[in-house]
Order: sequence, then C-alpha cells, then structure tokens
Amino acid sequence: MDSVNPKGKCGAEAAPRPGPARLDLEAVRERLRTNQGPEFWRSLDELAATPEFEDLLHREFPRHASEWTDGVSRRRFLQLTSASLALAGLTGCTRQPSETIIPYVRQPEQLIPGKPLYFASALTLGGYALGVLAESHEGRPTKIEGNPDHPASLGATDVFAQASVLTLYDPERSQSLLRAGRIATWGGFVGEVGASLRALQALGGQGLRILTGTVTSPTLTAQIQDLLLAFPQARWHRWEPAGRH
Amino acid sequence: MQIFHRSTNTIAKVSIFGSIFFLAFFAWLFSTLLRSSYATGQNVVRKQPVPFSHEHHVRGLGIDCRYCHTSVEKSSSAGIPPTETCMNCHRQIWTNADLLEPVRASYRDNVPIRWTRVHDLPDFVYFNHSVHVAKGIGCVTCHGQVDRMPLMFQNASLQMEWCVDCHRDPAKNVRPREEVFNLNWQPPADPRQAQALRARLAKEYDIQSLTSCSTCHR
Repeated sequence: MDSVNPKGKCGAEAAPRPGPARLDLEAVRERLRTNQGPEFWRSLDELAATPEFEDLLHREFPRHASEWTDGVSRRRFLQLTSASLALAGLTGCTRQPSETIIPYVRQPEQLIPGKPLYFASALTLGGYALGVLAESHEGRPTKIEGNPDHPASLGATDVFAQASVLTLYDPERSQSLLRAGRIATWGGFVGEVGASLRALQALGGQGLRILTGTVTSPTLTAQIQDLLLAFPQARWHRWEPAGRH
Repeated sequence: MQIFHRSTNTIAKVSIFGSIFFLAFFAWLFSTLLRSSYATGQNVVRKQPVPFSHEHHVRGLGIDCRYCHTSVEKSSSAGIPPTETCMNCHRQIWTNADLLEPVRASYRDNVPIRWTRVHDLPDFVYFNHSVHVAKGIGCVTCHGQVDRMPLMFQNASLQMEWCVDCHRDPAKNVRPREEVFNLNWQPPADPRQAQALRARLAKEYDIQSLTSCSTCHR
C-alpha cells in the first residue's frame, strides 16, 4: 500500500489518502482464476483494483504531465534557431552610446595624444646597462628597442631586453607594502626593521647577510660599504644565477 | 460551396498590390529614423560637467582652436585640453565663479574632468585629424560654426554617407591651409574664381578622392 506515494512529484499534497481498502480476497481469486493471460501487480492495492486506488494513481501526477503534446519537430527547431540568429543582428541597430573624454589634469610636456613618446633609458642585466628606447603611449610603455646612440645596443636589443617590457606589467608585483600578506604602512616597516637593526648593532652586525646580484653602481656600492662599516660582522654576498662569471 | 467570402478576392488583390507600398513605406521610415538626430546626435546639445561656451571663448575672446585642441595638426586626435589649460587663465580671472568650481576642484584634487563626447565615431572607423587639416579642410566644414555655439553640439550627422560625400569630391571643401582655423573665411564670391581656387589648391595639396574601404576601416 505504501508503494504509491500519495504526494505529487514536487511535494505538493495530492488529495487526501483514501482509507484502507478492503481487499476482497474471494473476488480477486475469482478474477485471477478466470483470467486468460498472466496478470501483474506491484501492490495489493493494484491487485484489488479498487476505485480509490485508481483515483490515487491518476492523481499522483497532474493530468497529461507525462505526455509531451507540443512536439517541436526538427524542422521547426531549425527555423526558430536560425531566425533567432538572423534577427539577433538587429541588436546592432542602436544609436551610439554616450562616451566620455577624460583628458589629463596636467598634461606631461611633449606628450601628443595619439602619438607615442620615446624615452631613452637603460636596462641592467647582470649589473651591466643596455641603452634602450622605450616607446610609450600616453604614459604606457609598449615597446623596448635599442638606442642607436648607445654603444651597448647600437639600436638593437637582445631577447632579454625585448622581454623586459613585460616586467613593467608584472601582475605578481605587489601594489602596496605587505606585512605577512596584509597591507601595512611604511612607518610600520621602518619601525620593525629599525628595531631589528638596532638589536644587530649590539652584536656588531653578526648574522646580517646581504645578498645582491652584480652591483656596478658606484652609489649602491658606496652605500653597502657604509653599511658594512656600521656592521663590521655583516657579510655581503654577490651572486648572479646566470651571469657572466 | 465557397469556403472564402467574396471579399477575399478584393483583399487578396489589395494586399498584394499594397504590400509593395507597405514595404516601401517601412524602408522609408527606417532610413529616415536612422538619419534622425535621435540616431545620429546631430544638433543635440550635450550636457557637460562645466557649461563651456565656445561662443564666448572663441568669438568673444578670440582664442584660436589650437590653444586648447593642441594636437589637431600633429595627431589623429585633436585632443581635449587638460585642466591646466583652463587654469592658465582661470587662476587669474573668474577665480570665484561657481560655474568654474568643477574646474578648480579638478585642478586641486588632481581628478580629471569627465567631458561628454560630442563627436563620436564608431570604434571600427579610423579618423585622422592631422591629415584633414594638412589637406586644407577647415574646422567649420565639419564642426560648423563653433564660435556661435553657446554650448557644444554636433553639427554634422557623422554618418558614413556624409563622409563619403566629401571623399568623392574633396576639392569642393578645400580652403587655403592658412584659412583652416579661420572660422569666418568665405570662398571668393565669384563662382568661377572659387572653382579656380579649389582646383589649384587640390592640385597643390595633392588631394585625392579616397573612397577605398581601407581608408577608414582599418
């Protein structure tokens, strides 16, 4: 009797359950005996074939729910989809949306909107500088080419210089000061580093190691030398992973 | 036994014959609507963050176009002036005007002014100002009498048919290069003289009739 779920498919309440039907065993046995072919039933309710059961069966789902009367033929489907595709082009028939022009507040000198500006610059690789021309469109560097006047490049670039334009747009580069992954202030950084350096000073710099690549800048060398004078026990390590050793 | 009423004969004839007019009407309606100022933005005054008056600055004060639109002779874009250009004068005159508060605020806070674009071509069109200026097409030819516009509006429809109309015969709109920025220049009154001038300039400036698609659709 419980094989038929009285509730509808979406949990909607069907009509109230009929009372337990009295299975008239004699009538059923008579029917089965006189039946020609095999008779199948899934529940005693079905066997009893009481009118209440028939009602329940029909009320389980809404009428015609299991029938799909609107047959969309293949031809009709193709007609509809191709018409949709063709008419979708009509979305282009709109007027232009309103745009804004946003000029500079203070336009950099010599900048002509629409024309690139070339900056002579230098790229260091392994500590040694390569003179380049950086092509910049409204402040956005787009291409690196060699500087014809520079003896190291003579107008040409190697593959590292060409690729270096991507380092200008490194998405991995942090946009702000981070402390353990959270944005921190410059003051906080200076305070913390200052505290540890003061602690190191007492030890004469024992344990402080500085790792750099090849340094050819006299200014930076002088600064590091000054640091080593202040921290005599500190060590400066220079390492170039793939340089001219 | 007739399935259809006798009137169906008339209806059928009228509808077949009339459908031609029906379609023609819709074709006309569509093409007119597409040329309307609603669709093209022609003659529609646009609201700006600051009600800048070209009439006052150009006609009243005599400021040349190039003082603000600096890159018109050098680049494809003529350029909208940076706030600093406005402040060149307005840090000294009308320094307390309410109307200019957005300009001062922009300069003070380093936030650019967001102007509403008046002359806007679709992104699939390439237009280069410097070429047109170099070939002797005056500012007024396309932008109209800007010096009589209290507020900026688009003078021409900027539709392709309008551009192509000139491109098919550019000589009819050419003027001497020195007069490109002269908003009040008129061609010689005598039509023969005017024609002669145009022909001479077209030859001198090497003006060609560029009607190939890739001229603008690059």
